[in-house]
Amino acid sequence: MLTEDERHRYERQIGIREVGEEGQEKLKLARVIVAGSGGLGSAAAIYLAAAGVGTLRIIDHDRVELSNLNRQVLHWDRDIGRGKVESAGEKLSQLNPGVRVEALAEKIDETNASRLVRGFDLIVDGLDNLPTRYLLNRAAVENNIPFIHGTIYGFEGRVMTIIPGKTACLKCVYRGLIPPGRCPAIGTVPAVIGCIEATEAIKYIVGAGHLLTDRLLVYDGLAMKFTELRVKRDPNCEHCGHLVVRDRQ
Amino acid sequence: MSIRIDIPPYLQPLTDNREVVAVDGRTIGACLDHLVRQFSRMGKMLFDEKGSLHSYVGIYLNGEDAYPDELTKPVAEGDTLYILYVIGGG
Repeated sequence: MLTEDERHRYERQIGIREVGEEGQEKLKLARVIVAGSGGLGSAAAIYLAAAGVGTLRIIDHDRVELSNLNRQVLHWDRDIGRGKVESAGEKLSQLNPGVRVEALAEKIDETNASRLVRGFDLIVDGLDNLPTRYLLNRAAVENNIPFIHGTIYGFEGRVMTIIPGKTACLKCVYRGLIPPGRCPAIGTVPAVIGCIEATEAIKYIVGAGHLLTDRLLVYDGLAMKFTELRVKRDPNCEHCGHLVVRDRQ
Repeated sequence: MSIRIDIPPYLQPLTDNREVVAVDGRTIGACLDHLVRQFSRMGKMLFDEKGSLHSYVGIYLNGEDAYPDELTKPVAEGDTLYILYVIGGG
């Protein structure tokens, strides 16, 4: 049930036919993880908080550095040296005090990934490296939690929504690890991709529109074009292949 | 037979910043070989020492994932290939 203040705060989006008061109540009840509060995570978390997602769990073990500030818009100059989740939690709570922000300064690894996501409705990828994305993808599949993947490099970004057991997962699409290296980034690219991730999250929660499933959307900021690639479930996928077999029986 | 390869921004520095390269070939493998003959630095980016595609490279034929056995898949006049190179920033 929405309060009068909430009806007022969200009146413009309640006015969207696909959201309405029922959708707003679903957003209020939703529990969403934003894994990482860097470029992607900042953009996604800001719009999820503004939209009234009831609980946001922000996971990030890093501290704010000067070189983050060109793109990680939840963190400001005064925050340099602070824990990112502390900095992010403060801004998100000020933006929307009605959102419960859980700030977890933990490094996601093989031993805790599943525990960290359990009990949540949705995971949004705001990570900055592929190995941790694979851990999160596996945890999402194991716990049957939808996972919205986003990534960037320079002027390029990609985004895809994963419904475990029903659509291609991250490991169906990316099968290997790139050699490690620093990722160049300009803030507008994670902003574009993070906002698409947030849009997918909102659509999933309220049950509106067509999700970006079995499709990888590639954003090329230099050519200013989007390319859609059709991806497919891999029966031999090491993360979700067993679910493909089960579906066929 | 002319096949179009769309080069993602990540790899464009290796193709003289060209977004699109025209190649000839009857299979995806032959088309990629032709690409490497034109832009030799693409070789290491696409293939390992045994000539297999790196596990972190995906090839899309007319927008659809060509995995598995990408290199032997036939192509036809007017087809488009897209090279999806894994990226991981955030």
